[in-house]
Amino acid sequence: MSMTCHDAVPLLDAFLDGELEPARAAELERHLGGCEVCRAARRRSERLSAAVRGNAVRHAAPDALRLRLAGALHAPAALPPIAPRPAPVHRLLPLAASFVLGILVTSGAAVYVDRADRADETARELVASHVRSLMPGHLLDVQSTDSHTVKPWFAGKLDFSPPVPDFAAEGFPLLGGRLDYVGGRSVAALAYGRRQHVVNLYLWPAPGTGDGSTRAAAMNGYNLVTWRAPGWRYQAVSDLNAAELRQFAELWRKLPPQEPTAGR
Amino acid sequence: VAVNGGDDRRFAAEILPHLDAAYNLARWLARNDADAQDVVQDAYLRAFRFFGGFEGRNARAWLLSIVRNAFYSSLAAREQHESLPEDGDVAAEIAELAGPESPETLLIRGDERRLVNEAIAALPPEFREALVLRELEELSYREIAEVTGVPIGTVMSRLSRARALLRRALRAHGAGP
Repeated sequence: MSMTCHDAVPLLDAFLDGELEPARAAELERHLGGCEVCRAARRRSERLSAAVRGNAVRHAAPDALRLRLAGALHAPAALPPIAPRPAPVHRLLPLAASFVLGILVTSGAAVYVDRADRADETARELVASHVRSLMPGHLLDVQSTDSHTVKPWFAGKLDFSPPVPDFAAEGFPLLGGRLDYVGGRSVAALAYGRRQHVVNLYLWPAPGTGDGSTRAAAMNGYNLVTWRAPGWRYQAVSDLNAAELRQFAELWRKLPPQEPTAGR
Repeated sequence: VAVNGGDDRRFAAEILPHLDAAYNLARWLARNDADAQDVVQDAYLRAFRFFGGFEGRNARAWLLSIVRNAFYSSLAAREQHESLPEDGDVAAEIAELAGPESPETLLIRGDERRLVNEAIAALPPEFREALVLRELEELSYREIAEVTGVPIGTVMSRLSRARALLRRALRAHGAGP
């Protein structure tokens, strides 16, 4: 039974969010192929999403708040009030107990829901490295949007020469690179931007031809995508949504094969 | 507060890095900086206190659910709820709130940014938070369900309604898709 416009339109949002189950998505795509009205609706949805992402402010925490929280970590009960307003802590204390239950229930659900979040040691290391890289001054050893500046920078610092493509045209501009240490070896880390998100790509030579498959995982709120290409192992980490991170991986996979040799 | 040294370090490593996400959600919910800072501070205090019981993998979703609870239990949330109309056409209200002074200024390209931000700020909180978590924090539906404590189906319908309201509000001003 084929899908009608009536069925199709309510699914467009979930489809564009990459949240529709594959069978349903395929059905919808078939319908879109033959229906200009729904294609127009899809374009409208895409434009709205782009308008929101392109214009809505992602507010960064003020430094004062950051410092206050970091400082208060060791004595959380003594959080200073935010001048000139009274701290909310006191007026909320009587309420706190009633929320304990709610929070515990929520976190219990989290354990149950996130089965896919089973991460291995490397994933843990990568997420830790990604988080570290986001602290001020840690992201880049060489800051340049130019592959021809970043690539030579690695020469002499690693025993391999990583490919350094720029995907600015595809919406993932190169930000720069740095050396990192993962799984007991030095690796190249390349940073790419995507709106307000940073994608860290870790790559290092690995024997084998690669089986062509991509594995995705999530850990601690970060998405990871890993794949192998002939001679290489790749790991991408970001708080970017999983669908776009896979898109990023696909850009890499479309590149012509590279020799990992010729380090210096 | 009975949290041992190991938990302390784990908290710093797993929860503190999500401060920007926490503040962004609080800022969009409270709609001003001072209340947002209060909410985040309160949320971190709670998170620290209950961190010993946290065994989940998704620290960001866990923290954001606490931020959300902290907001809804705050005075700021109550004031906001009182200011919402009890009934009536939400879209019309948004259009009004998001509207500039004259139709001509609307078409100025630079206004799109302001219009979009105002239109999102004018959404009812349940729709606003779903949209912010999806479009700015890039959470999956499952994660949004976890943060907001509703089924995935509800997340889907809230997102759809948020987007429909937004589209109508923006179109009303000739700026929208």
